Amino acid sequence: MAFNDQGNGKSPWDANNGQPPDLDQIVAEWQKRFNTLFGGKSSGSSNKRKGPPSYLLIIMGLFIWLLSGLYQIDDSERGVVLRFGEYSKTTMPGLSWRAPWPFESVEIVNVNVVNRFKQQTTMLTSDENIIVVDLVVQYRKSNPVDYLFNVRDAEATLSEVSESAIREVAGKSKLDFVLTEGRTEIALRTQELIQQTLDEYGTGISITKVNLQDANFPLQVEDAVQDAIKAREDKERLSFEAEAYANDIVPKARGEAAKMIQEAEAYKEKVIADSEGEADRFTKLLVEYQRAPEVTRERLYIEAIETVYLNSNKVLMDSEGNGSLMYLPIDKLLENTNKQNRSENNINKGQTIENNQPVNQNQDSRMRRVR
Amino acid sequence: MKNILIFVVVIAFVVISNSVFIVDEREHALKFRFGEVIKSDYEPGIHFKVPFVNNVQKYSKQLLTINNPQELFLTQEKKNLYVDFFIKWKIADTQEYYRSTGGDELVAAQRLLETVKDGIRSEFAKRTVIEVVSKERREVMAGMLSAATMNAENLGIELIDVRVKKIELSGEVSESVYNRMRQERARFASELRAEGSESATIIRAEAARERTVLLANAYRDSEKIRGSGDATAANIYSTAFNADKEFYSFHRSIEAYKNSIGTNNDVLILDGKGDFFKYLKDQEPIK
Repeated sequence: MAFNDQGNGKSPWDANNGQPPDLDQIVAEWQKRFNTLFGGKSSGSSNKRKGPPSYLLIIMGLFIWLLSGLYQIDDSERGVVLRFGEYSKTTMPGLSWRAPWPFESVEIVNVNVVNRFKQQTTMLTSDENIIVVDLVVQYRKSNPVDYLFNVRDAEATLSEVSESAIREVAGKSKLDFVLTEGRTEIALRTQELIQQTLDEYGTGISITKVNLQDANFPLQVEDAVQDAIKAREDKERLSFEAEAYANDIVPKARGEAAKMIQEAEAYKEKVIADSEGEADRFTKLLVEYQRAPEVTRERLYIEAIETVYLNSNKVLMDSEGNGSLMYLPIDKLLENTNKQNRSENNINKGQTIENNQPVNQNQDSRMRRVR
Repeated sequence: MKNILIFVVVIAFVVISNSVFIVDEREHALKFRFGEVIKSDYEPGIHFKVPFVNNVQKYSKQLLTINNPQELFLTQEKKNLYVDFFIKWKIADTQEYYRSTGGDELVAAQRLLETVKDGIRSEFAKRTVIEVVSKERREVMAGMLSAATMNAENLGIELIDVRVKKIELSGEVSESVYNRMRQERARFASELRAEGSESATIIRAEAARERTVLLANAYRDSEKIRGSGDATAANIYSTAFNADKEFYSFHRSIEAYKNSIGTNNDVLILDGKGDFFKYLKDQEPIK
């Protein structure tokens, strides 16, 4: 809209009263000057005073021509100057001048920028396996003169040479080496080989780095490779499981062993204590017995028999003088006592166990040991 | 007058431009006189010739490449290999080169390829796949180079290098390689698994051994302890009981009666004889 601000819908170009610059006029003027340049007696003799004289035009043209020899070299670049196609010099960064066409020409090469390209190649290893390798090559055009002159399409040459080199190096290595610890070494050897070949060709290219980005099995064997990876995990898992098992049973056994020792210690203490107790009891009783042997003996005997008979079912027979056969239903008797036993279980047992406990336990454990 | 002047300028320009030629750093030049080569060793720079009498042909001085993709070669064991290779060459004798190839790079490439392929064929036929790929790669390339060099010289060409880029096995061969690789991986996998179960078994066995030894040692020690306990106890008993053997025998016996008889509600059948019952029938004192 700004164009139309002057109003009336006129464009700014029409400001000169709607008249465009008169092209015909300008052309005619130039024609006259050109004619005077060649000393022609053109019709324009009357206009001679108009415009600059012809020699000025020549000087101007010459000046422009000379100016066209100026060129600028960036900090990372070098300029290679050719005089009539022959190499004359290499110019450093900054503003420089060369003789203009057709005398000299300049070709500018960036010598510092690091270019890189990536190659994915399938190759054979020395143990006749196929692997896929991703190779990244970084390079720069370190010698601009060699780079320009010696080899046609130096960069394509680099790519061919690196493809050949990585195959040569990989072809001398075993699969596992390429895939695992050999990576850096292979990259290094490849770099050396590429550089050596490039130098032989005189490409003027320096390899700054060769990287073996990825080395892998081909897709066709991927399943088997995955399985092998899984197998490695399985291996570790099996070991871990076994270790877990070991960590479980060994401490338990240690505990068990400690328990056995403690039980034995307990048994020992107990047996000794028992023996001391019993021995002491016997010794004390013996003292009393020796004071009154007969009475004591009698008393002890009767008490003992009393206890025995008290707890038993008894059948008392007076067999003297009676030779006749007697029928005793022992099984019935036993049955009876068993029933009685069962019904009176709690009361009876409670008593007897409490009475007999020390002796019984003692006997039990001894029996077990002996067995 | 003006026209004449223009004519002279044009003529001069044509003559000068036809009598001067520039040889670039990257070029060889041949000067002919009516088709006959009269000069071939030009340095880079500006040179002169007689217009219309002489003419000039320029050829590349640079290192040139011929790429040959995927050519089939047979190895000693009659396996098919697809081989990518490239040839690095340059024009050495311009005159010879012009005579033998007409100065056409394509023709030169064709001729070179034929001789190099022959070289490769014979080098490959002498070797097995593994030798070509790995062991004797260098020798193969050197052999190819030397075989083709002589022929190249006849073309005015210097053969700089012949290099194998890619050696690829043909379809069925590579399939068998893949199969072998799969088997190899499978073998590796089963080896790993076997190693896993090996170490697992060892760990378990060691643990079991440790447990058994621990328990056995503990049993031994506990038996020793029990034994020493028993011995001490026996010593204490015998020391005490030796004071009166007869009384001990009596005392121990009646203790045993108490503990062993009647505890299970035994049935005793008694005939009433014996000291215990002596007062049951008779209250007379016994002598």
